[in-house]
Amino acid sequence: MLLDVTLSLLEGFGTTVELFALTLLLALPLGLIICFGSMSRFAPLRWIIKTVVWIVRGSPLLLQVLIIFYGPGLMFGLPLLPRFTAALLAFVINYACYFSEIYRGGIQSVSRGQYEAGQVLGMTKSQIFFKVTLLQVIKRIIPPMGNEWITLVKDTALVRVISVYEIIWMGESYIKKGLIWPLFYTMVFYLLFNGLLTVFFGWLEKKLDYFK
Amino acid sequence: MAILEVKHIEKNFGDTQVLSDISFSLEQGQALSIIGSSGSGKTTLLRCLNFLERPDGGNISVNGKVIFDAQDPATQSEAQIRKKRLHFGLVFQNFNLFPQYTALQNVTLARELMAKEHGGESKAQILEAGKALLKQMGLEDRAGHYPHQLSGGQQQRVAIARALAMRPDILCFDEPTSALDPELTGEVLRVIRELAVQKTTMIIVTHEMNFARDVSDQVIFMDGGVIVEQGDPQQVINHPREERTRQFLSRREG
Repeated sequence: MLLDVTLSLLEGFGTTVELFALTLLLALPLGLIICFGSMSRFAPLRWIIKTVVWIVRGSPLLLQVLIIFYGPGLMFGLPLLPRFTAALLAFVINYACYFSEIYRGGIQSVSRGQYEAGQVLGMTKSQIFFKVTLLQVIKRIIPPMGNEWITLVKDTALVRVISVYEIIWMGESYIKKGLIWPLFYTMVFYLLFNGLLTVFFGWLEKKLDYFK
Repeated sequence: MAILEVKHIEKNFGDTQVLSDISFSLEQGQALSIIGSSGSGKTTLLRCLNFLERPDGGNISVNGKVIFDAQDPATQSEAQIRKKRLHFGLVFQNFNLFPQYTALQNVTLARELMAKEHGGESKAQILEAGKALLKQMGLEDRAGHYPHQLSGGQQQRVAIARALAMRPDILCFDEPTSALDPELTGEVLRVIRELAVQKTTMIIVTHEMNFARDVSDQVIFMDGGVIVEQGDPQQVINHPREERTRQFLSRREG
């Protein structure tokens, strides 16, 4: 029985981890683009981006998953996206918006003097960004990023609303058979995975501790 | 011929005029001190010379060549400005060292990037030059330290070495000791004095009157965005002609 449950939970957990990893892979760079848009000197672009971020951050991710999965078909008669793809799309958009704000906070917390020091030394804008600011930004965004990654792991449970079989779905299926312990077992998976993330972020923080 | 000629510089922030008709010139190897109360426009003037602010009027010539003219947009493109600002070096009040780099890396970073872009010096040469500059600042044993491991005075000396590494024609100081304890002020002033002895062309915005008098060949007193008085340091600081200058100097002593 234990082996049976373990295998089935592992299968669900595979989906969870896949969604987690792909969301990060796509949302981290997309967030940076959104961030630059939200700081653009071109006001209309800035307002469009801010409105999108407001809508995405201001409404439940659950709702966004449902709309992206069912919306295109019901509104425009388009074929449904594969379930996992729809879930991934919703997650990427949602998390990219959150990341963009984290990036913005990090970038704006680097003092103006750092840019100016680079400028008077004849550096280009991109040299200043990559050689001077970036690492300082990374150092500053580690704590909020850690939070966000851990939240993402747990948010993956939402995709069950469009029947993507993630780990909780698998655990829950045993309730019908009168078993509660697989649910606790499910929790162990989350705790272990988030434990690993915590260790990783702690290590990263330490790694960048050599400068203030 | 003057190495630097500044003519009729104007600068406004919105409706407020912060610099009005600023003109002066500076000879090669001379030091110019700019004194005046806070808000008199002296820092803005330095920032205009380093193109951290764009003047709204007037022109700036280095070695007889106009490098900036408010009337001529051709002198104002981003690429042009980037090249021309290298005539000037700037040492900031709060150092603005790059925290993730060691003292030596702070000094060599920009020069390495420049060499990578245009060729020229090897990395080893730049490293040697950086070490020599730190030695000149009395910091050869601090090359591997990060800024947060250095005292304010040491940080400012690294910042001076960093500015010198780009070999500017004119080195500008924006109140270089204002963020320092009195104890640490001395070591920074000593280094600047040394540079004056070696005939480094410098513009120094400072509140240290004795220092300004000793080290400079010329002093400018600014108030309300205009130059009130300029001339020989002994004369401006010890025997000011203008009433406003007298007021400023006497209030400082009181």
